[in-house]
Amino acid sequence: MVLSSSVYFIFLVGVFFLYWPLARSRALGLAVVLLANYFFYAKWDLFYLFLIPACSSVDFLLALGMERALRRWLRRALVSASVALNLGVLASFKYMPFFLENYAHLSGRPAPEWPWIFPLGISFYAFQSLTYTIDVYRRDAKATPSYLAYLASVSFFPTTLAGPITRVATLLPQLERREKTLAPADGGKAIFLIGIGLMKKLLIADFLADNLVNRVFDFPNLYTATEVLTGVYAFALQLYYDFSGYTDIATGSALLLGIKLPANFNRPYAASSIADFWRRWHITLSNWLRDYLYFSLPGARAKVLPYLNLVLTMLLGGLWHGANWNFAIWGLLHGIGLAATRAVPGQPGPLWLRRFATVQFVCLAWIFFRAPSLEGALAVLGRIGSLTVSFANISGPLAVVLAIAVAGHYLPAKWRQWSQERFAASPFYAQAAALMLLAIALQYVAATGAAPFIYTRF
Amino acid sequence: MTLPPAKTSLTLLTLLLLLKTPDALPAFKDYKVLDWRTIPAVLDFAPRKTSPAPVEEEELRLHPDRDAASYNVFRLNAAEGALDHFYAALQRTEAKETGAVTRILHYGDSPTTADLITGDARRLLQKQFGDAGHGFILMGKPWAWYDHNGVVLHASGWTVDPASQAKIRDGLFGLGGVSFRGAAGASTQITLKDPSHTLLEVSYLKQPGGGALTVEAENRSLGQIQTSGKILEAAHKTFAIPDGARRFRFEAAGPVRLFGVSFDKLNAGVAYDSLGLNGAYVSVLARMFNEEHWAEQLRHRRPDLVIVNYGTNESAYSSFVERSYGKELKEIVRRVRAAVPESSILLMSPMDRGERQAGGAIGTMATIPRLVAIQQQVAMETGCGFFNTFQAMGGPGTMGRWYEAEPRLVGGDFIHPMPGGARIVGGLLYQALLDGYNRYKVQRMQERFARAAGKAGPK
Repeated sequence: MVLSSSVYFIFLVGVFFLYWPLARSRALGLAVVLLANYFFYAKWDLFYLFLIPACSSVDFLLALGMERALRRWLRRALVSASVALNLGVLASFKYMPFFLENYAHLSGRPAPEWPWIFPLGISFYAFQSLTYTIDVYRRDAKATPSYLAYLASVSFFPTTLAGPITRVATLLPQLERREKTLAPADGGKAIFLIGIGLMKKLLIADFLADNLVNRVFDFPNLYTATEVLTGVYAFALQLYYDFSGYTDIATGSALLLGIKLPANFNRPYAASSIADFWRRWHITLSNWLRDYLYFSLPGARAKVLPYLNLVLTMLLGGLWHGANWNFAIWGLLHGIGLAATRAVPGQPGPLWLRRFATVQFVCLAWIFFRAPSLEGALAVLGRIGSLTVSFANISGPLAVVLAIAVAGHYLPAKWRQWSQERFAASPFYAQAAALMLLAIALQYVAATGAAPFIYTRF
Repeated sequence: MTLPPAKTSLTLLTLLLLLKTPDALPAFKDYKVLDWRTIPAVLDFAPRKTSPAPVEEEELRLHPDRDAASYNVFRLNAAEGALDHFYAALQRTEAKETGAVTRILHYGDSPTTADLITGDARRLLQKQFGDAGHGFILMGKPWAWYDHNGVVLHASGWTVDPASQAKIRDGLFGLGGVSFRGAAGASTQITLKDPSHTLLEVSYLKQPGGGALTVEAENRSLGQIQTSGKILEAAHKTFAIPDGARRFRFEAAGPVRLFGVSFDKLNAGVAYDSLGLNGAYVSVLARMFNEEHWAEQLRHRRPDLVIVNYGTNESAYSSFVERSYGKELKEIVRRVRAAVPESSILLMSPMDRGERQAGGAIGTMATIPRLVAIQQQVAMETGCGFFNTFQAMGGPGTMGRWYEAEPRLVGGDFIHPMPGGARIVGGLLYQALLDGYNRYKVQRMQERFARAAGKAGPK
């Protein structure tokens, strides 16, 4: 169920009208959320109805064990079991084909078949689940005694497919709260976020994908260097609008149920360094990698190890996106970029130059992220290297959408805040009319129906 | 139990009311954005279908009976006897008569330029009838996209003039439609995957002041070509290839103008020249090629079948399709007939071409069916064969379906096939040619029986 499809919105409205009349009862409210979560998973594959409750139940019991265990070795054993479980699920259902293919390549034997591939949402589920058990192990959070609350939190449907990766410890108190209300301003904000998310996804991201990005990355040799380069920049914008559009819809959906999710983006292409970029792009993932991976690695006070740890963290972060060498190179490039930023203290050069250089580096790495294969990425780079000049394939409407996308990204945050507040303060019929106009616009202007969000693949 | 939040509930309910309005009030029917019949889809738990083998699945969908005895292929549409010359050549090749090479020239646009479809058809035909060599290759890559299966091509120092871009006006573009002008030092390296070719032939232009071209195989000289002549005149020079040689080098020692090089084998088999021109349209063959020069090139190559496969680029211009496409196509047929009257001609329609339609679905561009109909009509009027690629691959909407396959069978421009999609189309063309050939053989056999029966009949 794609978050920009009409089926999702029918589902969401149904959950809204089912949830709020029962929300006063803690158990019934949680039961509705849990039902919605599992319904959402089942829409992708019924197998999830076995996999997710089983994993969640084991983690719930392990966390209770850690809460009660006094001995450090026992807590360590329990958290290790949780890490092994979640990473094992990730490896089995997402990475096994990659392992088998490389094994086959090295051994010269044919790759064994592996029919158990259920990658959708598994990465986000596993990371979200680990925030809970690792927090409990570190005594940063208390284990909840409520099985129902845990199940409802760890698989909370708006965050299931592509985040924002939300600490279970943040979700639990919001879902367990007895006095649940939805202020009119929050309701308006939720609807505004969903509308903005749809516009980002359907009017900008999908348009750029259809009219330039997919073409350039499918057949780079059919385009000039300047067109391919424009395609790479267009992909940077497409990915931002696609993923931040998804995040807006997910955040708005959660807010309709009175749940606040963390921010995931803050004008990432205005970053002045790679470190700054990761403070602005997919913020919840970078926080997760920092808190649960980087801080766990040894050698924080050594001279060289922290640099290696940065590279290793980002390499693993790259592989988290998918099991192929392109993502590994993408992560490696960002790891090297972060290490270089750390190695050069201070801020050399004027701000505009640092911002420009950061965007170029990020776009270079995006080529590996987007290309279908390593050969594809090299073909794109080779084509850019041909230095051929022509913009014959950049149509007028495409140039306009690109300009809107650039302008929209750099728009001051306070402008968006102002529009959001104005929308939330407007009467219900004005809000409904605005949504209806948006739906009509999307119907007639949007480039596509309901293409999957890019980040739901990870 | 309590009421849901008032304002948000009212917003959502009002929105639902507005969404329902176009169903209730016909005046607003153009603003319908929600199909209420999709609501039960919320309860549809059928898993999203992905296929590990989309090419095979699409082939099976196109031919569900392909394993059955009553196997049906998408047939060529040909006037009586239109392709007989080609079939007769194929029959001699199948009988392994000495030197019986069946030669096919396939003129096309961008997919052909990358040897997509043609590469697959060549592979299948050579598997069935024998391999008479890779065929014609340009002296360099006029477009980064230019590529041939089993060939690695590097070139430097050439001034490249494709007929489709018409930088030079004399119309002398050789067989492949591209002219390469170079001074001393301009060179081309070709590496073939297959080391069993026996002959190579360089096509070039003799010209006043023309320089020499050296030809090497595996770093050993095969000889030199002197390209000087009193007048502009197309010429060809053949070299025997040493056993097992795969790497060839051509270097200009003075000003030369080249067209391409052919790699052939002496044994019986099929040779399939993929002659793609990026962005090409019918007028390139009908107008840009110098008629006399092209006729010489065709006569020299002696094709048994000439396939003319244009239409995708023209489909963006509906007025051209209506006013000029048919006339230009007839002119191509006339030129080929005048040059090689014995050769068969097959007009091949473009693939489906998609475009986004209101609501987001990928539909077939309106000009495609019209253009295909014109091609079919021209084929019937001029006695050519016709292969309806568009219908063979599934007709309207195929591009959308192939785009949504995973992995995709066509690219994001809804025009170019990915290798998997090209494999399907190449297979369809091969099946159609093979089907036509089998029917030809049956017909010949029946005629022989009838003649024999006539001779042996009652006296």
